[in-house]
Amino acid sequence: MMFRGDLFIWALVELFWISVNVLMIEVVYSHTSTVAGWSKYEMLLLAGTSMLIQRFLMGFFWSGIFEMGRNVRSGAFDFFLAQPGDPLFMASTRKLEMDGLLNSFVAAGLVVYSVRKLGLHPGPSDLALYACMVACGVVIHYSALVMSMSLSFWITSSQGVEGSYFTLMEFSRIPREAFSKGLASALFVWALPVVVVSNAPARVLLHGFEPSWALGLCAATLAWFALAVAVFRSGLRRYTSASS
Amino acid sequence: MLKYRHAFVVGLQSNLVYRWNFAARSLFSIFHLVFVFIFWGAIYAGNASIGGFGFAQTLTYFVVLFVLQFFIGAFNEDYQISEDIRNGLINQFLLKPINYFAYRLSVFAAARVVSGALGLMALLVALPFLRGYLVLPHDGWRIALGIPAMALTGLIQFSIAYCFGMLAFWFLEIQGFVILSMAVETVLGGQFFPLDLLPPAAFRAVSYLPFYYQAYFPNAILTGRIGLDAAARGLAIQAFWAAVLVCVAEVVWRRGLRRHTAAGG
Repeated sequence: MMFRGDLFIWALVELFWISVNVLMIEVVYSHTSTVAGWSKYEMLLLAGTSMLIQRFLMGFFWSGIFEMGRNVRSGAFDFFLAQPGDPLFMASTRKLEMDGLLNSFVAAGLVVYSVRKLGLHPGPSDLALYACMVACGVVIHYSALVMSMSLSFWITSSQGVEGSYFTLMEFSRIPREAFSKGLASALFVWALPVVVVSNAPARVLLHGFEPSWALGLCAATLAWFALAVAVFRSGLRRYTSASS
Repeated sequence: MLKYRHAFVVGLQSNLVYRWNFAARSLFSIFHLVFVFIFWGAIYAGNASIGGFGFAQTLTYFVVLFVLQFFIGAFNEDYQISEDIRNGLINQFLLKPINYFAYRLSVFAAARVVSGALGLMALLVALPFLRGYLVLPHDGWRIALGIPAMALTGLIQFSIAYCFGMLAFWFLEIQGFVILSMAVETVLGGQFFPLDLLPPAAFRAVSYLPFYYQAYFPNAILTGRIGLDAAARGLAIQAFWAAVLVCVAEVVWRRGLRRHTAAGG
């Protein structure tokens, strides 16, 4: 709370981005009644879930991972290597961003609003499963971001590459049904789990437990986390300290 | 002019150092085009026309937007300027007969030449898949008005970034302001959706704001979303906003310098 003005600005930024996404859905649905078979409130539920996952990522990990690239370039990453713990864990969990966490309530509010508008009554098991799937989504986002930033070990600057994370995560706002069978489906639904990440939890609230979605998400979470750790460790072996 | 030409050449060289970053960014931006294709394809499924425009016209809008952003969009000029101020590098410009705005504009132009070329390369990769969906009108006046509109868009984008960079005279951390402004510019500039899909009253109101001229306006001229009358009237408003923003940039620079303390040997 030392930088209250900064917290206020960033909370406003996050809130505005959420509003922009909601505005886009409003504009689109003012011209059509369904998108890939999803109604406006189903789409808001999907967008709310996607934003909830992103806000948790922003709140818990974003600053730490974002600074990782800068620290690798400047040599300040030595600090994390000297810590008594896993360097990836120490570097990525160093800071909490309150603005992201505050706006997770706004995203959660959007999910609750959509659920009420859709007349859904999810049971405790559905809510627990939804929470688990959101957690899996956060792990997948975390892994994707760690992999993007780990490129700093190989290239001069990962600026621009980190933007690729946001570009890829745009797909999490699209319903699975929008992907016809083909290359796009193979890539964005199966190879990169950007669609599954948000669709799987949203579908739990809409349709209840679906084993194929739950298992698919769990498998993707484990695979992506393992891959991120492997890429990070491989990059770490290239790291040359900048200390005097 | 010679000194700014040198600044342009040095800017070209320093931006070429980061060519792989620009290349990575432009290649990953193709994913954005894939997103647009899938998302808007799903919206248009069962709708021949939305807001009076077909799927091909809307896809063309986003493809042109993609190219424009690489050629005339401000990427991180605000951050670079704020770093100059924070690190005291701005002091050297106070001692030399050089206009900081013109110097930065020269570097911005150089950066856009590099990023524009790499953006075009990315487009060439995507073109075989998109070719059947692109529809560009062939009216000559669209090119005649589109070129000055693009130049003014570049000036507006740069001036806004310049003003936000200048905030470093007053604030230690400006990234929050920059991202907030980016969010406003993204939505009111028509980067999320074509602005003509807004309700008519909202669209009319937005057309008087500078953000409208940051991306939507030159794009709408080139892709046929607005007619000759609206384009000519818009160009006059755009020139007005460009002049206002250049003046604001000058005022902010002068005021900022009053607060600036040049320290160091």
